Amino acid sequence: MTKSPSWLPAPDDSNLPFFEGAKEGRLRLQRCNDCSAWMFPVRVRCQSCGSTNVKWADASGRGTVYTHARLQREYHPRHSGRLPLVMVQVDLEEGVRVNTNLIDCDPEKVKAGMSVQVAIEHSPSGEAVVVFRPA
Amino acid sequence: MTHPMNSAAAICGLGITAMGRVYRDADDLAAEAVYLAIEDAGLKKSDIDGLLINAGVGNAVSIPLHISLGLQELNVLTFMQGYGSSAGQMIQYAAMAVANGLANYIVCVFADAPLLEGQRTGAAYAGGGRRNAMGSLYPLYGFAGALPMYALAAQRHMDLYGTTQEHFAEIAIGQRKWAAMNPAATKREPLDLAGYNASPWVVEPFHVLDCCLVSNGGVAVIVTSAERARDMKQPPVYVRGFAQAHGHDAGMSNQDAAIHTPAARSAPRALTMADAKLSDVTQCQIYDCYTYTVIVTLEDYGFCKKGEGGQFIADGKLSPGGALPTNTGGGELSSYYMWGMTPVAEAVIQGRGQGGARQAKNDLILVSGNGGVLNYHATLVLSPEAA
Ligand SMILES: [Zn+2]
Repeated sequence: MTKSPSWLPAPDDSNLPFFEGAKEGRLRLQRCNDCSAWMFPVRVRCQSCGSTNVKWADASGRGTVYTHARLQREYHPRHSGRLPLVMVQVDLEEGVRVNTNLIDCDPEKVKAGMSVQVAIEHSPSGEAVVVFRPA
Repeated sequence: MTHPMNSAAAICGLGITAMGRVYRDADDLAAEAVYLAIEDAGLKKSDIDGLLINAGVGNAVSIPLHISLGLQELNVLTFMQGYGSSAGQMIQYAAMAVANGLANYIVCVFADAPLLEGQRTGAAYAGGGRRNAMGSLYPLYGFAGALPMYALAAQRHMDLYGTTQEHFAEIAIGQRKWAAMNPAATKREPLDLAGYNASPWVVEPFHVLDCCLVSNGGVAVIVTSAERARDMKQPPVYVRGFAQAHGHDAGMSNQDAAIHTPAARSAPRALTMADAKLSDVTQCQIYDCYTYTVIVTLEDYGFCKKGEGGQFIADGKLSPGGALPTNTGGGELSSYYMWGMTPVAEAVIQGRGQGGARQAKNDLILVSGNGGVLNYHATLVLSPEAA
């Protein structure tokens, strides 16, 4: 059997904890050890206080929809048969905003402010993809 | 007391190349725009002693342009980048330079050639490959380039304030009416609501017709001191006021960046420099990468309350014959997309009174430039009259 092509390059040291966490169904983000601020995507230095004392930690995976839109043109194998694909910006309880997709929802009923929680999808080659679903 | 920069500088030259599927190097389009601006201003190449350069998405114009142009003795030369705010920024820095004697005639030029022969228009701005795993997630989700980010911003405005698809349509349709009167506009055929609705979705709530054109071309303007501009070939367009404001949510949820943009901090300071009020503005040239950008910018500029931008424009006041003529050349949606040079070039044409059939009242022209995803902003206040 032919192995499905990968959708993502292999994680590197900077983002491995994110992808390892996703495999286990967890949302892992960086957090500043000095001022406690969370950050996303990957940063070397805390945007709030400038510290480089940044560690990975489990986030709640809970948040609300900041805003949403519907992809109506496919240009990636993952979009195939899934239009309209619901694109969302999720404001996590941790104070960071994440660009992602909302699954298991009626695209017409998504609204700003809606509660959502993290979910994991798997690519044909087995990669874990972090998405969200209604809470 | 009048601000020392109010009417210290003026725009004395304008060069616009052919626009659209012009398959030439961006550097050469830039060079042509510069030569056109020099001729337009009635200057000789040897008069030019300053050059500010901005490149678009193709990023193919830079310092070597002055070698292509044979400008061997310059007193001001740099490459600048503030995305869609760059054109306004270049004019601001040029105005300060000529007012302080660094140079006499500074050319500000933008050129881009993202359209390749045989390639779809959408491919030009879709965004390049991303190397790492984190960045590679975005195309999986449908995030490519600026378009989805603006669609997301527009949807939030709809959710919060009841802004409708018809409001976005009114921007596209109204600007097309202006474009019909602009011989240089790419899209001049009439557009109605049915035509707008028939336009395919890209990222809903945006149809294709909510999005700017993609153009190859170049635009150059020449900035000089108000004193020099007074007796030149073209009527001077004075720089009465200007400001910039920049910001980003930086991935943090404490900013409502889709709704409250840096434009709100930029326009009041530009108007203060110009010693003018918003009610003195007789026309606007508003950066219109997407229909929503016009609505949110007019709100942030204070023409109406936050959230009421859709209703504000619904009566057609931005269209020909309306109370606030806006994007009178058709804008980036219907004329051509040269980043911030699209609104700037139309403002110069209008400021000179050279708008022909589309000429609007030009006493005070408010010009915006917007870059990133509502992140980087520049405002100009232009007028045929000095303070
Ligand atoms: Zn910190």
